[in-house]
Amino acid sequence: MIFAALPAKVYDDPTQSLNWLMPKPGELIYGGLASLVIFYALYKFGWPAAKKALEARTAGIQKELDDSAAAQVQADADATNIRRALGDIASERIKLLAEADAQAATILAEGRARITAELADIEARAAGELLAARGRLGEELRAEISHLSGVATTEAVRAAMDDRTQQELVDNFIAKVGASR
Amino acid sequence: MSVAQINAYVAAMFEIASANDAVSVVEDDMFRLARAIESNEQLRAALNDTSLPADRRQKIVEQLLGGKAHNVTVQLVSLLVGTGHVSLLPQVADALVKRASSSKQMEVAEVRSAVALTDAQKTRLAEALGKAAGKPVNLKVVVDPSVIGGLVATIGDEVIDDTVRTRLDQVKARF
Repeated sequence: MIFAALPAKVYDDPTQSLNWLMPKPGELIYGGLASLVIFYALYKFGWPAAKKALEARTAGIQKELDDSAAAQVQADADATNIRRALGDIASERIKLLAEADAQAATILAEGRARITAELADIEARAAGELLAARGRLGEELRAEISHLSGVATTEAVRAAMDDRTQQELVDNFIAKVGASR
Repeated sequence: MSVAQINAYVAAMFEIASANDAVSVVEDDMFRLARAIESNEQLRAALNDTSLPADRRQKIVEQLLGGKAHNVTVQLVSLLVGTGHVSLLPQVADALVKRASSSKQMEVAEVRSAVALTDAQKTRLAEALGKAAGKPVNLKVVVDPSVIGGLVATIGDEVIDDTVRTRLDQVKARF
């Protein structure tokens, strides 16, 4: 149909091209055949290699997808383990804190009881020592007062013993002894 | 020093004093000296100080008794000092007084007084104590200010105490 559209004059001069776009029919034939040969060769030899490359790429991508999925599964498992471990740590922490609180409360209670008992003991001893010291001081004071009063009395009597009194005492003694038998 | 040794000294001193007819004087000198040594710590220490030569201690005795005691007393005391037995002097003196009193059928009456007694008081006291003891007493008076007032007499085991000190002690004991 293309050939039919071309003017008949063109075919008369072999040096002139029939159309600025279209080659000669013979070139079309040879060109078409050559293209078929090339396409065939491509189909025969290039396509398997390309297909193989595509399959290999597909397998690679699939492998990466599988690896990613496995990694995700592993990551999910790790995340689960971590979450469980975190849960365990939290519960352990709570348990430890509770035990520590209980021990602290026990120690505090024991310490308070011990300090209270010691305080009561110290107070009792202090009270006893206070009483003893009071009694001792009282005794010492009484003894000191007695001693001082004795000394004072002796000195007062000694000062009052004038010669006349001394002589009277001597004479009284002689008279008393002389009259006794 | 045993009692036997003290008695030996006393016997010897009594014989010497008797031979010199000075028993009364010597036993009285010894008694007064014994009381003086008992009441004077410095004198007691000096006479007992063995680091001092014996003749030095004998000179102390001679200076102490010179003119105040019989020669026999001075010699007998010097003997005790020289033999290093001056610490026995109070016991020896007391035993000598007792021996001298016994020889005269008398009882020793030691009287402590705060003040010195007059001769008249001593005579009346000796009579009164003799009456109380039932036989004459050889009166030995010691002036002892610690009795404060009154007298305390010791005749053998009997003590007649009428001192102010004892009365004060009795009053203190009640409180």
